[in-house]
This record gives sequence, structure tokens and C-alpha cells, in this order.
Amino acid sequence: MSVTKNNIFRLLSSLSLAIFLLSFIAFGSILGTIIKQKADEEVYLSIYSETTYKVIKNLGLDDVFHSYWFVSAIVLFAINLTLCSYGRFLIFIKTSKKTDLPDENALTSMPISFRVEDKNSENTIQAVKKIYKTVYEGKDGLVLQKGMISRYGVYIIHGSILIILSGSLIGLLFGFKGYMVLQKGEIKDYAISRHASTKQISLGFSLKCKDFQVSFYPNGTPRDYVSKVEILENGKAIMDNEIRVNKPLFYRGINIYQSSYGSSLSFLFNIDGEQVTLGEKEAYEKGGFLMMVMRFAKSIHSFGPGVLVAYTEQGEPRSTWFLRDVQRLRAQKIQGLNIKLEDIQENLFTGLEITKDPGIWVVWVGFALILFGLYANLFVYFRKIYIRYTSYGLIVAGIAFKNKEAFKKEFEKFKTRASENGS
Amino acid sequence: MDHKILGIVTILYIFIFFLHILFFAVKKERIISFLWIVLYMTLALHTAGLVTRWVESYRIGFGHAPLSNYYESLIFYAWCIGLMLVIFRKRLTFPIITMVASLAALFLIGYASISPSVERKIQPLIPALQSNWLHIHVITCFLAYAAFVISFICGLFYFVTWRNIVPPKEILEDINYKSVVIGFPMLSAGILTGAVWAHYAWGSYWSWDPKETWSLITWIVYAVFLHARLTRGWKGKRIAILSIIGFLSVIFTYFGVNFILSGLHSYAT
Repeated sequence: MSVTKNNIFRLLSSLSLAIFLLSFIAFGSILGTIIKQKADEEVYLSIYSETTYKVIKNLGLDDVFHSYWFVSAIVLFAINLTLCSYGRFLIFIKTSKKTDLPDENALTSMPISFRVEDKNSENTIQAVKKIYKTVYEGKDGLVLQKGMISRYGVYIIHGSILIILSGSLIGLLFGFKGYMVLQKGEIKDYAISRHASTKQISLGFSLKCKDFQVSFYPNGTPRDYVSKVEILENGKAIMDNEIRVNKPLFYRGINIYQSSYGSSLSFLFNIDGEQVTLGEKEAYEKGGFLMMVMRFAKSIHSFGPGVLVAYTEQGEPRSTWFLRDVQRLRAQKIQGLNIKLEDIQENLFTGLEITKDPGIWVVWVGFALILFGLYANLFVYFRKIYIRYTSYGLIVAGIAFKNKEAFKKEFEKFKTRASENGS
Repeated sequence: MDHKILGIVTILYIFIFFLHILFFAVKKERIISFLWIVLYMTLALHTAGLVTRWVESYRIGFGHAPLSNYYESLIFYAWCIGLMLVIFRKRLTFPIITMVASLAALFLIGYASISPSVERKIQPLIPALQSNWLHIHVITCFLAYAAFVISFICGLFYFVTWRNIVPPKEILEDINYKSVVIGFPMLSAGILTGAVWAHYAWGSYWSWDPKETWSLITWIVYAVFLHARLTRGWKGKRIAILSIIGFLSVIFTYFGVNFILSGLHSYAT
């Protein structure tokens, strides 16, 4: 029993499994980019055959990054990374504490070593001590090292990956992703969830859109989208703010982003002296008269914008076009009522992305640490120098795991220093 | 004005190519010294071209660094390759590597200036790109891509034996590893700065957009490369193959995603 347990542990903490899982995640990701994600059934059926679609659906290939096998691979990778790094870290701690000074023969056979005559001993030791940290000093000699942080680098990197993953888990568990559509003047205190469009997420405060503006460069490229909003708490205005792309509003742990915009039209009618504003597909009814805005056209035979209105005349459905720029068709008499299309207004609405992610700072810390870890691991070099007292003076030897040429050069300097001081 | 300067840079890259050919024909070390002088000049002029374009963008009122569209990214990529050659100069004792790398730079500039599908005019920044993260994100990514070009060349030449022209295998392995050591942290920084930017622009630091996903795939390939070499002590063919796979992934991340897959990163096409 314990043997199999041991084997499983060994497998779970092995580098081979890590490489396999990473390759598996990479391969899954490739599928996730070449197969259309989260599309409707019709879209898949227009690309693939029915059996292929069934395979895609069953394997979750229509949403790879949230499929059970992809998420499991990431979880397994996190476990593997933890065990693998932890195991290595224990061994590393044990060996790094060792400051044994090898004997003279071992030192002589090291790839970089030199001898120093007695009279130069002190100078040589001082020269090395200036740059290196002494970790052992005894009767038999010294052990010095530098760049220790480099050996922690790999654990910092692996640790930060785990930190980033846990940060994203915090976000998944305690955060949300939603959106809000606000007309000018409208006030809302909830966002619609991105995961379930029927779910409303209460924000704990209200947002009012005071204005929304789009500006363009002379060539027609969009230049700026600005939502001017007001935050209200218990109906009281707290503050005014502008939300732009790249300039979100962070308020009480909730992030509000400018993400889209759109427009809806409203049609101003004058019906027998009464001002009526109707949206598309909106109906007006009064005293047995019923009319409804059917559809809008930007331009009708180059006569300008028009709107198709349906109404009933003695129970019969009829329709007619009102053209804003043509006098004769702008005002019409229907069932004895004078109806005039006063104006067509475009109302912009703003689309705000609303999110909450309490794990974000954990993720940021992970990001900073991983970069520091990479720097420490790849650009700081660990070096160790042994100095042993001998009958003739000293023997100095060194080891470096990386960037050995540079270490050799440094060593040469110590060597010439040692001989120069004597002369 | 910037087009004229970059035109001269293109010609200089062609000249550099012929200098290499000349060297292989007559094998005079003096040609190599001259070649490096020309390379430094080319890089300086290339820098001047980028700066001119930057200044020009302010003159017409858009005012942004030349890192914002497909054309500018191609030109900047070529510049990064030139910079990598200078950084690696000490190790590049075999001119075949400088030759292929400068050919890559020549290809990028040439494609950027000739292809009818590349918009060369200075364009204004759309709202999503109006961020200071743009600079650091693009710079780190392309420095990484450029370092991976060197790694790729070493990986390819590993399978070629051509005495005195192609460097010995140990030297190729060494340069290959060193370029990944530069490229990998740069790519990591590129992905992370991109994620921070995405948080401020789109409201999510990671949304599995094809560009993001492919950059992660590339990152994984080079992470495997480093572990295989440092922890497992892989050498030779297997490492060379990994560096080739890595670069194919880079190409797909940069070009493939733009042309084949659609997503949030569609500025670059």
C-alpha cells in the first residue's frame, strides 16, 4: 500500500508530469483557438458535420478553457508544481546549509583553483571578502559565496505561478463579471451577469449616466468614448466621474469600464396638439385610435430619413411613411387627426463592463514576483569560493554553475592580485 | 521623411547581406570589422527613422510612439533584431548567424514597405490603444521575438554541417540558450504587462483571446526548453528542435493570429 502511495507521490511531483501537463495545456489551448468558442449550435453545424459537432460538444471543445479536462489539467499542474518545487526546495535547503570545506586534494582537482604563497595570504583573503560573503570561517579555512538569491529564483518563479493561480481562483469564487447598459439620464443599481443574462448583481450603489459622448478623428476613426456618470448612495449624489476606455472607475471594490455604446431612436410626434415621443415598435393609443412605429429608414429614395407607421382604420391594418424632410409627407391627416413628425432623435446609450475581482492584488503580487524570480534565476549568478590554509600558504578554488567564463575572469583577477601584492 | 530613411536602411541591409557573401568568398577578417561598422550605422539610421516617424506623428496631431499598427510593429521588430545582434556581438564570431538575422530584418522591412496590404500611413490611436502600457508591452514582446530569431537560427544550423561557416554545435547550443535566457523573461514581461493593460482596458487580465492564448503557448514551449536544458540536461538535437518549435509558435502568435484567427488584438492587421 505504502509503495503505491509512494509511487503516486513520486509521479505527482515529477518533472516529467509537469512537462506532460504543460504540453497538454498548450495542445488544449491550440484547439481552443482554432475551434470557434462559445458559438451557437447553428454556427457549428454550418462549419462541421453533425457527428463532428457531437464530438465537439461532448468533449467541451466549444468552450475549451472552461471544460472539465482543461481546468483539471491546470489544477493537476498546480498540485504537481507545488509538490515538485517543495521536494526540490527541501533538498536545496539541506545542501545549501552545508558549508563543508573540501580537503586539499579535492580543491586542487577543481576546474578553477590556484595556490597562494604564505606572505600573500591575507591580501588574497581580503580581496575575496570584499566581493563575497563569508559563510564559514574556521581554523582550516573559509567558505565564501555570493548571488545566493539566484538559487531561490526558481522557487520564487514557481511560487508566483501558484500565487497567480490562487489569485485567479479568488476572483472566480468571490468576484463577478457583468455589464450595464445606461441611457442618458437613466439610473441603475445592478449589473447583468456575463454568465447568466437573467441574473442581476446588486452593486450597493447606483450609477447615473449624465452624458455620453463619442468623438472622432477627421478620418473617421474613433478618438474617445466618455461616459459622464454620477455615483449615488441611498439616492444621494456622492461624486461625478468620467469613464473612458483605459480609464476605468474603481469604486468600493467594483470596477466600471467603458466597453461599448449604441444608439436608439425616438420619434417626436405631434398628434392633434399633443407631444408624443415614441421609440421603435412603440405604440400610441387614444380614444380608439392606435398607431405604432414600425421601422426607421435612414434615407428613402434620397428624400431623407423616414419612419413607417402602422395604424388601424375601421379595424383594417394600414401603414404609411412619415418623411421628416418632405413637407407633404411630414404631416398627415389620419382618421381626422393631424399627425406631424416633429423630429427624429438619436439617443446614445453607454455599455459599461462591471466587474469585481478581489483577487486582483494577489495576481499583481504574483506578476511582480515572477519577474523578480526570473531576474534572480537567470541574471544573478551563484558562486562559491573555498579557501584552505595549507603548509605553503593557501589554496583557493571556486565553483560556478552558470556563466563560468565570467567567473574564470573574476578568478584570474584574484590570482593576479595575489601575486602582485607579493612583489 | 521616415519612409526615406527606412528606404536607406533597407538598402543598407541588402549591402550587409552582400558583405557577408563577399566575406565567405574571400575570407578576409577586415570585411567582418567593416560589416559591424555598417551594422551599427544601419541600426543608428533605423533608430533615426523610428524617431522621425514619432516626431512626424506629433506634427500631424496624433502624437504617439511608432508602435501602434502592423506596419510600425514590423519596422520595430526589424529594429529589435538589429539590437539583438549588437547585444550578442561578442558571441557571434561566426558571421553566418548575423547574415541570416539581418536577412530576417531585411525581410520584415521589405515586406512592411512593399506589401500593398500594409497600411504605411501614420494612423491615430483608437481609444483602446491610448495607454502607457502600449509602449512597455510592445517593446518587451518584440525584444523577446527578436531574441527568439537568434535562437531559431541556432536551432536550424544545428542540423547543418558546413565546416568553418556554420559554427560548431557547442557554440550554437550556447548562443541558442543565451538568446532564450534573454527572450523568455522578455516574453514573460510582455505577457504580464499585456495582462495588466487588459485589466485597465477591457476589465479582465486574461480572457483567452487568441493572441493571449498563443503567447501562453509560446511561453510554455520556451519554459519547457529551459527546464529540459537546465534540469534535465537535454542537449543537441532535442534542444534544437524545441527552439524551432518555439519560433514557429512565435510566428503564429505574431502573424498567424492576425490573419487566421480573430480576436481583441485586431489592431495589427
